[in-house]
Amino acid sequence: MDKQIRIDNLHKSFYDGDSELKVLKGVNLDVDKAEILVIMGASGVGKSTLLHIIGTLDRPTEGSIFYDEQDITIFSENELTLFRNDAIGFVFQFHQMLPEFNALENVAMSRLIRNSKNIGSLDGSSSTPQEVYQTAEHLLDSVGLSERLNHYPSQLSGGERQRVAIARALMNNPKVVLADEPTGNIDDKTSDAVLDLLLEVNEKLNQTFIIVTHDSRISERAKRTVHLVDGRIAE
Amino acid sequence: MKFEWFVASRYLLSRRKQSFISIISVISIAGVGLGVATVILVIAVLDGVDHGLRERFLANEAHVVLRLIDHRFFGDYQNRIDRITQVEGVVAASPVVYSQMAIFQSGQESITDAIYVKGIDLVQEDEVTSFSKYVTGSVDFKTSPLIEEAELREGETISGGIVLGYRLASQLGLTEGDVLRLVVRLADNPGSVGSPTLFVDFANFVVIGVYESELAIYDSRIGYIDVDTAQKLYESVGKVNVILVRLADSEMASELSYEIEDAAQFSNEDQVPKTSTWLHTHSALFAALKMEKIATVIIEALIILVAAFNIASTLIMTVMEKTRDVGTLRTLGASRGNIMRIFMIQGSVIGMLGTFAGTGLGLGLCWLLSTNIVRPSLWIALGTIAILIIAQIVLVYNRLLQSPKVRKIGMALLWLLGICFALYCFVRPISLKELGFSEIYQMNQLPIKVNWFFVCFINLLSFVICWLATIYPAWQASNLKPIEALQYE
Repeated sequence: MDKQIRIDNLHKSFYDGDSELKVLKGVNLDVDKAEILVIMGASGVGKSTLLHIIGTLDRPTEGSIFYDEQDITIFSENELTLFRNDAIGFVFQFHQMLPEFNALENVAMSRLIRNSKNIGSLDGSSSTPQEVYQTAEHLLDSVGLSERLNHYPSQLSGGERQRVAIARALMNNPKVVLADEPTGNIDDKTSDAVLDLLLEVNEKLNQTFIIVTHDSRISERAKRTVHLVDGRIAE
Repeated sequence: MKFEWFVASRYLLSRRKQSFISIISVISIAGVGLGVATVILVIAVLDGVDHGLRERFLANEAHVVLRLIDHRFFGDYQNRIDRITQVEGVVAASPVVYSQMAIFQSGQESITDAIYVKGIDLVQEDEVTSFSKYVTGSVDFKTSPLIEEAELREGETISGGIVLGYRLASQLGLTEGDVLRLVVRLADNPGSVGSPTLFVDFANFVVIGVYESELAIYDSRIGYIDVDTAQKLYESVGKVNVILVRLADSEMASELSYEIEDAAQFSNEDQVPKTSTWLHTHSALFAALKMEKIATVIIEALIILVAAFNIASTLIMTVMEKTRDVGTLRTLGASRGNIMRIFMIQGSVIGMLGTFAGTGLGLGLCWLLSTNIVRPSLWIALGTIAILIIAQIVLVYNRLLQSPKVRKIGMALLWLLGICFALYCFVRPISLKELGFSEIYQMNQLPIKVNWFFVCFINLLSFVICWLATIYPAWQASNLKPIEALQYE
């Protein structure tokens, strides 16, 4: 199977004055294309840190991350921003909606950002504002929120917000969707619905999903689960 | 709409609960607006004073005054005037006998005051200073009927008519037809024995008109008589002691004064000519006005700077409140530049709104202060404000309009119109005469002259200051690390 992501001897330390806190101590991990990978581990073990580094939101202290065999740790700040906009979608535990914008605008935001840079996507496509909102509407429709397009985050339930977040993550048709505790802040019933949606999207769109979670129900339904123990991956 | 404008405009018109931030935005806009309005108004007043004084000086004064260095009388003045008017740039010249005389009214025991008396040739004077334009009454110094009708003490004669400055006339309690007795000169009485006595030469003039130039220095100190009469009084027939010159361009006074001296052809040995220009005479006043303007601009720029600090603090608070949003936007692929532009646009729009509002207010006040039309009563203005307050209370408590947006916009428009109307009623031209300042400021009404170049300059200055104030908060926002911003509580 083709490798989507290869992580090679990844280290991450945080510094507080002279003291060094080693969080990741040599992570090696391969993720296949269209795979759903679940990363589990105890609280504070560095799951989110690993996800943030994979998502280019943070840089490793040492080691490399390859997307389609391209090392992204050597990218400049601007290159990383463009790469993040184009190739990665995020779903967070607290959904991170923009409160001043309605569901449709929240979903469309990443494409609006891309258009503002006057560049197309990595595959060369670009869209007019009408096309952007049509795509966003379609995505919200596909997550069952066609009736909530003009609702603001404060007018949506937790589950609905998380579904908006999933639609937003898919807006730029990314290679990889990274989810940090996507069911961590919603009840069990809603969690199941969100999980169903993630699996359905993965199956339909063939996108790679990396999910960091405590929730064993997610690992039960994923094809592959790894554990992060003492800063290293244990299969 | 570009993404940055889209986000910035939404933050400006935030519909969430950040009413505190919105209020501070409004205060920031008001701060910039008041700064800009004040500077436009103050500079319009200073320019009005400057322009008003120049206009009045130029209408009442010669551009160049030619005399001899020892103030002596000189003859052949008409030929000299003809030669002076041939100098390129000279429009007209007129002869004047300029002197000081003491007021010694009949029945009084002592001299009360001294005034300047200008003996003028009416036709030539009008070409130089527009004298007749400012006179109420007659300018016929020799044949006015008032001269015939005047009552005199026995044995006294009338020298002619006199036009008095209106302040001087009212100060002396004289009106048209009254007689003014002036001491023309004093001389040693050759017949006195023992301690020397003086021979006093009186002249009686009939007040035939009053002169009102709005310049206190003329209206309170000068009387005008005919040049022939003045020559006779000083026993200098065919001679004058001053020639007044009007130029095509008043600003050329200094450059042309040497040519005028040459054209007058005085013999260098005993007649040394001396010219003075209107600019030189009033240089201290205009320098003071210029200095005042510079000081005002500096002070007002500081006011705008203070208002710009409001913008900076508003933006810093917005950045703090939007930290998580910044994290989200960076996660979605917004660059540091995108984030910086969002906050700079927000601050710049606040600055721009404040600048435009201030310009509107400043120009509006200038218009109201310079427009002499009958305004509605102040009670109507107060009534309008009272109605607005009642309407606001009724709307807030009874929620008469269903849509909060319509209610808000409707009320804002009503307040705007109400305040404009109240200002229209309240703000009227300020009469310096009524306030008793007309003598100090040399004019009867507070003068206003909008300097459009300066309005553009202050707009630009205000906008640049506000724009600069946005840089630090915007830079601070753009420097937020995405992860730290996302986890910000």
